[in-house]
Amino acid sequence: MTTSMPHDEPLTGTFSSSLAIRSMRVKGLILFPVLIALLVFAAQFASSTMALKLTLWISFAICALSLDFVWGKAGIFSFGQNAVFGLGGYAYAVVALNLFPTSQETISALLGAGLVGAVSSTLLGYFLFYSRLSDVSLSIVTLAVTLIIYTVLASTAGPEYHIGDALLGGFNGIPSLPGIAFPSIGSFGGEELSMHQLLTFAIVFAGLIYFLLHVLVHSRFGLKIEGLRSNELRMELLGYDVRKLKLTAFTIGGLIAGLGGGLFAAWGTFVNPSVFSLAQAATVVVWVMVGGRGSLLGAFVGVLLVQSAADAADLVVTEQTPLLVGLLLIGVVMLMPDGVVPTLTRWIMPARSRQRDFRIKLPVAKPGFANETPERRLSVTEIAKHFGGVHVLRGISAAFGEHPINAIIGPNGAGKSTFFNILTGRHRPDQGKVVLNGSDVSRMPTFLRCRRGLGIKMQVPCIFSDLTVRENMQLAAMISREAQDICDVLQRVGLSNRANEIAKTLSHGEQQWLEIALLLVQNPSVILLDEPGAGMGEEDKRRTIALIHSLSEQHTLIVVEHDMEFIRALSAPLLMLHQGIVFRSGAFEELVRDDAVIDAYLGRRSHAG
Amino acid sequence: MDAFVVILVSAVTAIATLILISTGLAVIFGLMRVINMAHGEFLMVGALTTTSLVLKLHFPWWLAMMVAPFVGAAIGGVMEILLISRIYQRDLVDTLLITFGISLIMFQLAVNIFGTTPPGIETPLGAMTVGSYSFPAYTLVLLVAALVMLSGLYLLFTRTKYGLLARATAQNPAMALALGVPAQRINFITFTLGCALASLGGAVLAPMISVSPSLGQAYVGQAFMTVVIAGPAFISGTLLSAFLLGGVSNGLSQGATTLWGVTGLFAMAIVILRFKPLGVSASWKRGL
Repeated sequence: MTTSMPHDEPLTGTFSSSLAIRSMRVKGLILFPVLIALLVFAAQFASSTMALKLTLWISFAICALSLDFVWGKAGIFSFGQNAVFGLGGYAYAVVALNLFPTSQETISALLGAGLVGAVSSTLLGYFLFYSRLSDVSLSIVTLAVTLIIYTVLASTAGPEYHIGDALLGGFNGIPSLPGIAFPSIGSFGGEELSMHQLLTFAIVFAGLIYFLLHVLVHSRFGLKIEGLRSNELRMELLGYDVRKLKLTAFTIGGLIAGLGGGLFAAWGTFVNPSVFSLAQAATVVVWVMVGGRGSLLGAFVGVLLVQSAADAADLVVTEQTPLLVGLLLIGVVMLMPDGVVPTLTRWIMPARSRQRDFRIKLPVAKPGFANETPERRLSVTEIAKHFGGVHVLRGISAAFGEHPINAIIGPNGAGKSTFFNILTGRHRPDQGKVVLNGSDVSRMPTFLRCRRGLGIKMQVPCIFSDLTVRENMQLAAMISREAQDICDVLQRVGLSNRANEIAKTLSHGEQQWLEIALLLVQNPSVILLDEPGAGMGEEDKRRTIALIHSLSEQHTLIVVEHDMEFIRALSAPLLMLHQGIVFRSGAFEELVRDDAVIDAYLGRRSHAG
Repeated sequence: MDAFVVILVSAVTAIATLILISTGLAVIFGLMRVINMAHGEFLMVGALTTTSLVLKLHFPWWLAMMVAPFVGAAIGGVMEILLISRIYQRDLVDTLLITFGISLIMFQLAVNIFGTTPPGIETPLGAMTVGSYSFPAYTLVLLVAALVMLSGLYLLFTRTKYGLLARATAQNPAMALALGVPAQRINFITFTLGCALASLGGAVLAPMISVSPSLGQAYVGQAFMTVVIAGPAFISGTLLSAFLLGGVSNGLSQGATTLWGVTGLFAMAIVILRFKPLGVSASWKRGL
């Protein structure tokens, strides 16, 4: 049951700095407290064994939820969520043992667990993301961290290893913890919760975490981390600080896992290093895989299914948990890689995954703002760059902005791509300066240059293919100080009737236009285009050339290209690179008549001498 | 002088151990981009094969160690055919999860067959004395085994047809396939080789460590770190990485406790990655 959003839905609206949530979702969330109340009511009828088991599962589900968020939403595959969960458990133990005797409450310990989870994730995340580790290295490092914490905590058996009154206890861990106890206010609180009270608390606690996470996922931040998962490079090219975004998402995941760990320790009134075992690390992944990554509800479904299956199997063969988890993991990956919830959702509501409504109202700049941008200049002086012993660029100086279109050409190996990468900020020059609109950006990372008015169009379309066209545009507009009207821009590139479609369903050509639209909505002063004509047919090329001419009215364009016909049609001043220097510059007709230029292209020794 | 020998011997042991436990993983990761999460369990297979053959069938220790890699290769080969070859083209996380599943199954099966604390074997060859200090002569075996393993691999990958094809497949699978390289068979051999090397490593270490089904868990973290730090050059990179990590962790173990050694290894690895995210060999010209 989905209400289809009309295509011509106005996109403009007033700027709201608070988290604006999709209206449809808000309606759904009114039902949410009712559901929680029903669950709490039903919980009172559970047997003691059942209550105990359910509380444990809820703590597991909170851990699964954290991985679901970090992996399914932000695209960071971490094996370390159970380690953070475990650290949360230890934090609960240490705080509770030190404070409970005097304060008679353990809410501080639970919050401490969340804090330790968040802080440890921030620390680890700093090294993971600021080192720009590859995904594989990242998952290995998180696993290694888990194993090493296991080893370290397991060897803290001696009496010398203690934090305040809490002995760490090596393999045996920390026993006899107080359960959850609220601070006493009047007749309320001051003592540990009973089994059913604990279950009630766990349901409300998990419900609250779920609710907040749900709101977060549907906020601007949620769209940003989806963009991150979909296309990290494009996020950077739009001006987002990708590393900071990842670190933030990872920290939020850590906070949640830590809180789950606190609940876990309060449930069992003990904590030991077995939470850091490999089997446990795998189990968390299995929960999320079974439930379905990317679906927050999947975390709960996954825990319920996997743990019930484990319990059922335990009746047949005891103590074979790793075997079972292993088989489940292999089975799910081979047979149902999407997980239960997304698979079911697709069966029941096939349209839903395609139909996305827009999420946020955006700040919209005054129309005509584009013309007020005074400066549209990019210049370089004496740029040099070498890789190992190879001097690719040997002192290049140039200024772009006099003429609206500028083309950079050169034979293979001339240093075109290196030069392009110096302009984008992917490479830092060994020497020389890059100046954008009067400010030195030589040492600035790509995303900061993009925020200052540099637009970059890649050779192959670089868009958020998992998001709708409109969401693509919103991501671009959100970070820009000069955001243009999304509707106008979509109309200009001819995509206004495709706004609600998932970007990957567009044709190759349309994806190119979408990428250009992403640049236009940010109204950059200078646009870099990397081989815009590559892999295009004649018709597409003509359209692209026409578009480049129309863009040049408001932006300075720098085109790196080697298709001579394409360059001729641009009728732009050329800068020819050869052997790392500016070999010639001038108009197309001058250069094609220059023997030295032809020699360079043909690889002949100069006959002119 | 004696103190120097003490430090030298323990450093050599630490470095040789890291090489022995990580080479198999490095080969599979370096050539197939597959993370074998069951690597630790292949170490365990090697070690348990050795102890079982020595204790039950009274094999001489060196013969038992020679058998171990074949057991590892057999298990790895079956695993490759049944599972890995089917998902090789898919997401990297998938192979990681599959091998993780296998790791858990192998662990539990080992517990079921051997129990949690099977008996170990004595360290052969007795002790050597230098001045007032004596150390197990077997340390030399570790060193020689590590060096033979690395130089053997170097020869394999530079001098044989398989080595050339495997490196070609690793660099550009599509192109290799287009040129008629039987990529599937090459991957099968590579994976089997990696498992065999892991088992050999576990076998050689068996007399020096406590052999149990959880052996894999104890060593695999260090092995992963060594491989990540090593980077793309999986032979020379592993050697340097083992030197760095082994040296630091050994120094700390000597100066403080083993606990600090392990923590130090990890801390060092994280710091290296902060500056060399692709590993120490990332900028080297030779790819081995």
